[in-house]
Amino acid sequence: MADKVVVRDLRKSYGATAAVRGVSFAIQAGEIFGLLGPNGAGKTSTLECLLGLREADSGDVEVCGLDARKFPREVKQKIGVALQSTSLQDKITPQEALRLFGSFYPRRATPERLLERFTLTEKADAPFDSLSGGQRQRLALALAFVNEPELVILDEPTTGLDPQARRELHDEIRRMKRDGYTVLITTHYLEEAEQLCDRIAIIDQGKIVATGAPRELIAQSAGQQSVALVTAAPLAADALGRVAGVTELRCDGVEAHFRTGNATQTLAALMAFLVEQRAEVVDLQVRKASLEDVFLKLTHAESAAPASTP
Amino acid sequence: MSGLRQHLRQSLLLHFRNKMALIYGYLFPLIFLVAFWVLYRHEKIPLIRHMGELLTVSVLGGACFGLPTTMVSERERGVWRRYRLTPVPTWAFVTSTVVARYLIVLSAGALQLALAFAIGMTMPAHPFDLWVAFTAVSFAFIGLGLVIATLADNVPAVQALGQCIFLPMLIIGGVAVQLASLPPWAQHVSAFFPGRYAVEALQGSVTGGGLVATRFSLLALVLIGAAGCLAGAKLFRWDAAQRFALRVGKLWLVPALAAWMAVGLIAEWRGRIAVATDDAPVSATPKIAEAPPAPLPLWMKITAKDVTALDFNVPSDGGVVSPFAAPDEEAADYTKDEVEGVRNGLSTWKPGLEGDDVQRVRNLLCVAAVPDAIQQPVERYLPPVVLQHLEATYPKDKLIKILTWIVLHPDDGTVLDSLPDLGLQGTAGDPSVVRERSYLYAIKFIIRITGRAGR
Repeated sequence: MADKVVVRDLRKSYGATAAVRGVSFAIQAGEIFGLLGPNGAGKTSTLECLLGLREADSGDVEVCGLDARKFPREVKQKIGVALQSTSLQDKITPQEALRLFGSFYPRRATPERLLERFTLTEKADAPFDSLSGGQRQRLALALAFVNEPELVILDEPTTGLDPQARRELHDEIRRMKRDGYTVLITTHYLEEAEQLCDRIAIIDQGKIVATGAPRELIAQSAGQQSVALVTAAPLAADALGRVAGVTELRCDGVEAHFRTGNATQTLAALMAFLVEQRAEVVDLQVRKASLEDVFLKLTHAESAAPASTP
Repeated sequence: MSGLRQHLRQSLLLHFRNKMALIYGYLFPLIFLVAFWVLYRHEKIPLIRHMGELLTVSVLGGACFGLPTTMVSERERGVWRRYRLTPVPTWAFVTSTVVARYLIVLSAGALQLALAFAIGMTMPAHPFDLWVAFTAVSFAFIGLGLVIATLADNVPAVQALGQCIFLPMLIIGGVAVQLASLPPWAQHVSAFFPGRYAVEALQGSVTGGGLVATRFSLLALVLIGAAGCLAGAKLFRWDAAQRFALRVGKLWLVPALAAWMAVGLIAEWRGRIAVATDDAPVSATPKIAEAPPAPLPLWMKITAKDVTALDFNVPSDGGVVSPFAAPDEEAADYTKDEVEGVRNGLSTWKPGLEGDDVQRVRNLLCVAAVPDAIQQPVERYLPPVVLQHLEATYPKDKLIKILTWIVLHPDDGTVLDSLPDLGLQGTAGDPSVVRERSYLYAIKFIIRITGRAGR
């Protein structure tokens, strides 16, 4: 299938700081592609270069068969974008906003059709400041579809939404795939990426550190299991680290997290260690590796705030 | 083009849905107008002498506060970032926003004019010229508004920057306070503010010689506007994350500032900023307004009935128009020297000694009327000095008749518009105001001489 987006060796610096350091990835037509990364990883800069909001220092960006750096205006005709927490003027109505943004494109969908599709018909004439968070986000999506785009780009579309609104938006994104749209989505929510994306790229420190289907990436960590241990009193990290099979240990007060390739043997050794230390176990959980584990491992996020889940 | 039309239409619609924008954009200018009307209610043609100031204040508010507030608030919300994602270039959105703002200030100006007409103002002398001047003023201030929108990172910063420009322009820039009543240094400073040229261009079309007579002001406004638009366009920011402090190309502010400086320097160089000072009076002899000579003997026919029939309804002594210090009110320290200078100088002051009696009294009335027209601090202390001098010079009956004659014939004779020989600075500029104030003081003098109760 033809690629809708091809990014090759993209680079962007702000002064002495290199935000994007040779990013490359491709998005196939009809797929939902997720771009994941911790804050400051270069995700936003990559997206802004792709959207034409910022001028890349070097590299190639091809969108819908067009060189996005040479023909930014033509590219904008073919893409629809919903930015994170899109805000419009307080008193503009959804109908007016759709008509206004539609007037900027030669090819456009009628406001009525978009209002119906994104279940905003009842709020067609309501001022923007009276819309709920979910309704505003649906309007942002409707605006992304105003030019009947070939590629839809959603920048953290569910950030700040309540669970119900988030679920509705997930359904809407799945519908885009069913309708044949190509979708590029950035998100902080790993579970969301795991549920929605056909493929993801994980970006860290300005570079792509992994690309593939979420299942494939998790499978690469197959055999690795995560253990979360809570004790009544803090344990000595050095001693715990010497327990057979314990890897990637993180201790935080009474909590300890580590990974192991053989849960049975490691847990047996751990129990012996706990008895020896006369430690009281409050909680002990063992689970398979998730996308979050993959993400944390790849982005070296142990020292940073862990990525959240919805 | 359909996108721009739609954006322009939507911008106007949103403006009319914003209550605060309506209050600041339309109600405040009308309140200003009513305030001026009340303040200058004794002028023969209401407001006509003040339309330059009133329209300038409206445009200044709409362009230097309204425009940047809208732009910065939309930038903070991410609206401009969203626009940036469309195929329409940024300059097109800026153009549409600027045109919308011009239409908004134009409608506010039209509303002000409509109310002024309803109150009784006559048609401006040059209506078409007034529209052209208004457009030039709008262009200059919209350029300034674009620069403010560029400099301000958020809406509170717009208010702070706007006030930094608005207040000096109002107070020492010739917009709300007449230039003639400002000290010489302030009059020189005003040459570097576009407000001065805005008032001149607009007022020149309402009561003056139109565009031809205000060519310099119009050119100054166009230059200031073009420089502002250039700087605003070059430094335009569509994203709130782009802070001005981190922006490259700040040197584009130089043309905007250079335009103000250039206009001020050219005005000074061409001697357009005439300032009356003790060392260099505007003219060695007082400028005499053109008017037919007064008939000499007729005032003697004034009767007591004529005096009784006068309209003694005059502004209060404590007001802005024709103020009159109470007998027990001492002159403020910083005005004492001026008051004493006038008191000592009146007996030998040539205009008070030359010509017929009516013209002499008329000239002496100007000693009270001119400082009042200029709104000098000394204004309220001079009428008692003049009255004292008149009472010491003329018999009571004769003085009442002369003053009554002047009240009944305010447009006869000549009036002075400056009093350099008495050590008073400033020029009234408009003889009709001096005549009007002379009329009011003549009535106030009659009230005091005859012991009548005024209003």
